[in-house]
Amino acid sequence: MAKYIEMIRIRFLMMLAYRTNYYSGILIYSINIGAYYFLWSAIYGDKGEIEGLSVIQMTTYIAVAWMARAFYFNNIDREIAQEIKEGKVAVEFIRPYHYLTMKTMQGLGEGIFRLGFFSVPGMIIVSLIFPINFSAALSTWLFFMVSIIFSFIVNTQINLLTGVMTFFFFNNDGLIRAKRVVIDLFSGLLLPISFYPVWAQSVMDFLPFKAISYIPSMIFTDGFSRNEVWDALLFQFVWALILIIPIQVLWIIAKRQLIVQGG
Amino acid sequence: MDQVIQVKDLRKDFKSHSSRPGLKGAFRDLFNRNYSIISAVKDISFEVKQGEMVGYIGENGAGKSTSIKMLTGILTPTDGTVTVNGMNPHKEREKFVSSIGVVFGQRSQLWWDIAVQESFKLLKKVYNVSDEDYEAHMTHVIDSLDIGPLLDKPVRKLSLGQRMRCELAAALLHNPPLLFLDEPTIGLDVLVKLKIRNFLKEINEKYKTTILLTTHDLTDIEALCERVIMLDEGQIIYDGKLANLRSNWGEGKQIEFQFAEEVTKDELSPLMKELDAEWTASERKNVWVANVVNEEHVISEVIGRVVAAHRITDVKIHEISTEEIIRNIYEEGVVDGKIY
Amino acid sequence: MKHAAIFFHYVSQYMKTRLTYRVDMLMEIMSDLLFQAVNLVFILVVFGHTQFLSGWSRDEIIFIYGFFLVPFAIFGAFFNIWDFNERYIVKGEMDRILTRPVHSLFQIILERMELESLFGMITGIAVMVYAGMRLDLSISWYDPFIFILMVIGGAFVYAGIFVMLASISFWSDSRTSIIPMMYNIGNYGRYPVDIYNKVIRFILTWILPFAFVGVYPSAYFLGREDWYVYAFLTPVVGFGFFFLSIFIWNVGVTKYRGAGN
Repeated sequence: MAKYIEMIRIRFLMMLAYRTNYYSGILIYSINIGAYYFLWSAIYGDKGEIEGLSVIQMTTYIAVAWMARAFYFNNIDREIAQEIKEGKVAVEFIRPYHYLTMKTMQGLGEGIFRLGFFSVPGMIIVSLIFPINFSAALSTWLFFMVSIIFSFIVNTQINLLTGVMTFFFFNNDGLIRAKRVVIDLFSGLLLPISFYPVWAQSVMDFLPFKAISYIPSMIFTDGFSRNEVWDALLFQFVWALILIIPIQVLWIIAKRQLIVQGG
Repeated sequence: MDQVIQVKDLRKDFKSHSSRPGLKGAFRDLFNRNYSIISAVKDISFEVKQGEMVGYIGENGAGKSTSIKMLTGILTPTDGTVTVNGMNPHKEREKFVSSIGVVFGQRSQLWWDIAVQESFKLLKKVYNVSDEDYEAHMTHVIDSLDIGPLLDKPVRKLSLGQRMRCELAAALLHNPPLLFLDEPTIGLDVLVKLKIRNFLKEINEKYKTTILLTTHDLTDIEALCERVIMLDEGQIIYDGKLANLRSNWGEGKQIEFQFAEEVTKDELSPLMKELDAEWTASERKNVWVANVVNEEHVISEVIGRVVAAHRITDVKIHEISTEEIIRNIYEEGVVDGKIY
Repeated sequence: MKHAAIFFHYVSQYMKTRLTYRVDMLMEIMSDLLFQAVNLVFILVVFGHTQFLSGWSRDEIIFIYGFFLVPFAIFGAFFNIWDFNERYIVKGEMDRILTRPVHSLFQIILERMELESLFGMITGIAVMVYAGMRLDLSISWYDPFIFILMVIGGAFVYAGIFVMLASISFWSDSRTSIIPMMYNIGNYGRYPVDIYNKVIRFILTWILPFAFVGVYPSAYFLGREDWYVYAFLTPVVGFGFFFLSIFIWNVGVTKYRGAGN
């Protein structure tokens, strides 16, 4: 366990070293959220609410969705693909740790860094400029915290899955890009899932993507009733468990293939 | 124009930031960083004549590759002047690089996925080489390097030795009067090395191509270069004939004795009385080395005395290798920036 | 002439290598299509809840999106050098580029081109035709030429911005997250800029002029005369930004530090 914590720490330090990243990042996230704010204000026009969300709730939704994304988002799919292509993964097999866990921990280190240095200050800055509604209820904050941890887990699992697929394709870039697009759309980052037509919503009930962005953002904006919150957390938890299965299966097959072909 | 390379007071400084240790230090770095200026090359001057083959040597971080990169127009000097082939490399970069050839041993100039031949064709267009010139020159190059059978293979399928020969051919495609070679023989086997060396000698004689060579393998330099330029900590510490380096610093021989039984330094030392010699123990058992000056009577005297006093199973006489000479120079350090 | 010969040589080599990995190429085109579809879905879902976006109808917004896809496809095919820092600065490939007698940016563009992105032009034109027919737009004989000029202008805006971002690497080789976010900001040029407040409108017009890739040039074809001045500024801004970026690049090359220092 100590070595995994060390990995989180190292990543954290690495992130800290890239300070240009840090300053420019906050600025750009703010512009991004700002542009969405105006877009949504225009979409609302003089309507009071759409699908149960007011303009202010919508702005809050967008702001928190992007800030939470800073926490759960990582590039480990690309990193894994890169390391597989360069043949570095073979070396990782002989190291005394589980490669995928290690990657997850690196992602977590990055995420914690961005949460602390990026999302929180960014959210404060954004809330000074745009009308954003913070919930007064402590329970909302607690549920939100739990929920974004699951967001991280589910998103990372999907990244691991796409990363490991590189073993089976010569070039995985297309898949990785496609995955990113699908997540942006179906996770609820761009649009709350409740805005979609009903048939599309029922399809998405059977996919893990809304666990990534829609659920934590709705919790934060108080868009869910207490019962819906419990349901949503259960949804996240179940998907976090289910996704372990394909990852393990693919990893075992990949390992076998690597041994046979010698990388 | 006789001088191909003229370098005067050439200097390159890099700004580097040091990070503070630990998590707390990293936080402080976020707002305020420590900068320091590091001079990779400190005011060096030298000239190279047309047709010379010069060995450019130094330890890692001595400023070798930084200065080569300034000579090839990749880096802009902080100070000083560089004139190569009558041009200022970084000012007229595109015109200038047509007049040089560059081989980086660790970096491929060829396109990974496509056949060698296609890379050549592309480079031919890049360097504006006419069909006649290409035919006349490259047929010969391809023959001498023996790469004809490799031309239709993609670069990624070649072995290191094969690739290196193709790299060399690619660098010579436009028949440049000046060739920079950075570690061209790294990781190659002896046969390929020999082939490459012979080829370089040949083009040097045929076209009077000037060659500047950096390498860790001093046998390359011994085989090719009359002159060496030696760098340490960004300064030139030796610039002259390789032969002089040997006679000034390598003036001595080593006589290696294998004794039949165990001997101690106390037993051996008296044998060397009033002779200019010294004993060192070898790593092997019962083997001792006498370091002596390179004079006939001393050598025979030492051997005579040792053989008379002890039973010997083997004797070898070694000349001190260039590598050892250079190691000695670096270990003993430099006095006043010059060695003589 | 020399540059054209080199360009076509690269293109033919590119085709050869790409055709050996046909599945990958197909995957890439599919993921591009998916990407284009996502944005369309966004517009459609939004207009499921509203009729007008500050006076612009659904079909007009779709038309703008269709137009945007065309210069964006050209940008994606030739100027998408988002991994310049990693590939050329950190790994030192820039050394190799600088020892060749062709402009360094030209070489990098050729090495990094992704011609399959050009399929986006087809999607874009198809979307424009669909929206244009629903809007009953009329086309004059000179409109195709203006279209080409606008497309080049828009592609140069994108190219200029990304070349400038890549040039940052010459000064600082630390990785930045600016580039991925820039793709997001680029999207805002696809919506009528009058929905934004002054600051963002100013940024999208003069600082990161993405509005010239979408809404401004489209305004001409949609007959929105109040925007014509901006519409015809498109090529000017495009060329201006592109030349500025080349200037910055050239300065950057002299600051190049080499790899491994």
